[in-house]
Amino acid sequence: MPKVTVDGLEIEVPDGATVLQACELAGKEIPRFCYHERLSIAGNCRMCLVEVKPGPPKPQASCALPATDGQEIRTDTEMVKTAREGVMEFLLINHPLDCPICDQGGECDLQDQSMYYGRGATRYRMNKRAVTEKYMGPLIKTIMTRCIHCTRCVRFSEEIAGVDEIGAVGRGEDMQITTYLEQAAEHELSANVIDLCPVGALTSRPYAFEARPWELKKTLSIDVSDAVGANITLYSKGREVMRALPRINDAVNEEWLSDKGRYQVDGLMRRRLDKVYMRRDGKLQAAGWDEAFTAIAEAVAGDKGSIAAIAGDLVDCETMFAAKALLRACGSNLLEGRQTGMAYDVSNLAAVNFNSSFAGIEEADAILIVGSHVRWEAPLVNVRLRKAAKRGAKIFIVGPAWDTTYPAEFIGTDLAILNELPSHIAETFEKAERPAVIVGGAGLKNAHGKALALAAGWGAAFNVLHMSASRMGGLMLGYAQKGGIADIAEAKPKVLLSLGADETDYASFADSLKVYVGHHGDAGAHAADIILPAASYAEKDGTYVNTEGRVQFAEKAVFAPGDAREDWTILRALADALGVEVGFDSFGELQSAMIAEVPALGEEGLADYGALPEADKNTRAEGEISAYPVRDFYLTNPIARASEVMQRCSSELLHAGELQEAAE
Amino acid sequence: MSILGKIFTWWNGATIGTSLFTSRRGEKVGTDAQGNTYYRSKNKRDLNTAGSYSGGERRWVIYEGANDASRVPPEWHGWLHGAFDDVPESNLPPARIWEADYTPNATGTPNAYRPQGALEMGGKRARTTGDYEAWTPE
Repeated sequence: MPKVTVDGLEIEVPDGATVLQACELAGKEIPRFCYHERLSIAGNCRMCLVEVKPGPPKPQASCALPATDGQEIRTDTEMVKTAREGVMEFLLINHPLDCPICDQGGECDLQDQSMYYGRGATRYRMNKRAVTEKYMGPLIKTIMTRCIHCTRCVRFSEEIAGVDEIGAVGRGEDMQITTYLEQAAEHELSANVIDLCPVGALTSRPYAFEARPWELKKTLSIDVSDAVGANITLYSKGREVMRALPRINDAVNEEWLSDKGRYQVDGLMRRRLDKVYMRRDGKLQAAGWDEAFTAIAEAVAGDKGSIAAIAGDLVDCETMFAAKALLRACGSNLLEGRQTGMAYDVSNLAAVNFNSSFAGIEEADAILIVGSHVRWEAPLVNVRLRKAAKRGAKIFIVGPAWDTTYPAEFIGTDLAILNELPSHIAETFEKAERPAVIVGGAGLKNAHGKALALAAGWGAAFNVLHMSASRMGGLMLGYAQKGGIADIAEAKPKVLLSLGADETDYASFADSLKVYVGHHGDAGAHAADIILPAASYAEKDGTYVNTEGRVQFAEKAVFAPGDAREDWTILRALADALGVEVGFDSFGELQSAMIAEVPALGEEGLADYGALPEADKNTRAEGEISAYPVRDFYLTNPIARASEVMQRCSSELLHAGELQEAAE
Repeated sequence: MSILGKIFTWWNGATIGTSLFTSRRGEKVGTDAQGNTYYRSKNKRDLNTAGSYSGGERRWVIYEGANDASRVPPEWHGWLHGAFDDVPESNLPPARIWEADYTPNATGTPNAYRPQGALEMGGKRARTTGDYEAWTPE
């Protein structure tokens, strides 16, 4: 623990800290452009210059200088001030003064720091450098003349995303950041470079010229595009969500966000359900709430218990609980959330949870992934796996090959390999100190029991990687039947409440009155007999539980369009129409009823599911994983499918090759 | 204007009282392009008695048609408010060729400006923040 003096204040800093970190610990702000906590140190912007004794009598770049015992650091001397002014003047030599037309304006590091640390005017009288535009895909807009060569984007692509897509060519003033062949940045986290860019060189293409940061309302929310539950801020103007940006939460998403979570928000403005629809003579026609409620009440008249509910992938716990309370009041328990027909055992929730936690999986030294395309099912977990791999973890994957961003061995698509693992793999796991097993959507059906047994045998952490934001919450609220959705179909309910369920096969419910309570006109709405317009995740308060069992709250950012109402109010009104008592009249009462029933949902943080169940050593895995459940990363939920940006990403980034082939 | 019209439509031109006052104490100064007539007090003694607080000459207008203050063109507006002494024709530079004709305020009339999107303009406006595209079953 070296002791250093910062501006006369003596502090102790952790081993391996840099001078910049020491200054931060002492409460001194050091301006910087290239330095970023989560990226490697580049030391090329020179903005963090400080005076350090002992050392050469010149300013030192503090980000790249290790703090050593007895150092005397000054951040407030004349030398530091002039050094910063000088660096800022050099940076601004080639930076265009186009802040009024720049999308970064108002949240620009260069703008802020030139106000704090820069000189008032320039002495440069020659022409500025101009750089040609680069194409970086449908999400990233480039104005490379503004680039100050901090190389944060290059380091992010290489180190965090693990793809060599962005790089620099040329030297000195002629250096240019480019994707080399002008191809799009194709990985699932590409848009994070927009947040990293300290200037307006990389900005958001869908959000270009839409709004200024100071006119937006900021709402803390949770991403529902996958089961990671990334913490996001929704920036809204009036009744439209303009953009979503990640919030820092080291336990969940660090400070990254997948492209889908970031850019599906434009789907909130398209294909919205804003009217009540009823099917008359085989066609959906606009109707009133009362008519719809009367029709539902008539359908279950005499046999109230004949009502079932299927929860979609994006719904919050409150909605699911309101539906559960309604069904319970009617005398029914036909709840299911696993829309695609999965029927894994949920008697012990620890067996279907990501028990390592996302931060914990980084520490694993041997990881077996069974049937999960992690990069598409949970891009932010893939970042963690890459970190683990960089620390030396050996990773083995059962399932069709996909492009990992780290060294991993694919050991075939036949799940039977788990019964007799090749000796080198078994040996690796037996020797490993912190092994982990991850079971994904494609492995849950046939290999869940075997994976549990393997994990118990090795003493490994057992993890299940879900794909839908509502899954863990739904399981905690009892949205599971023994035989999965088939049990519901078998019960032949007279009324089927579909809470935004769009992946369900409605053909097996031909005789039921299908009531779709949701926000987007997708598969569910097309199959429905009655559509009740509801709110999306941005339009209601709600509790979400991510795949590691972390309970998180999201807040309402905007109002639902047209006649759409928050889901729980619809279900509450339906209770009146059915003549049953559900026991809550306000959102607060609903929440306390839910927390009284499932106390874990009332506490933010990891829920405790107890110990893993006893594994049956003799279970065997069998079957072939022919494909992963996620077919198209950008189009996995109704919001993303309605989003123009996601559709463009899908066609341009995932299916561009097919189009070319078709043209040839 | 008929005498009946004069009695019952106070919003057109001068009332009987004003006409009487004008014929007795007013001196006609000029007429603008719209036909409004401008008067000033004839006698010096009116300067103090007939409501001139500033001590200056009293000036007024009798509208040809509706009594709408915005029908006074800017040059006569200047004269009415004492911005210059003499009548506009002899005091102001001649109108330039590029100067548009003066139009009175059209608010409340059928000629009023309607923004794009107003019902009178067909009710169709450009897309704006917060607009959403609703789903239809077809």
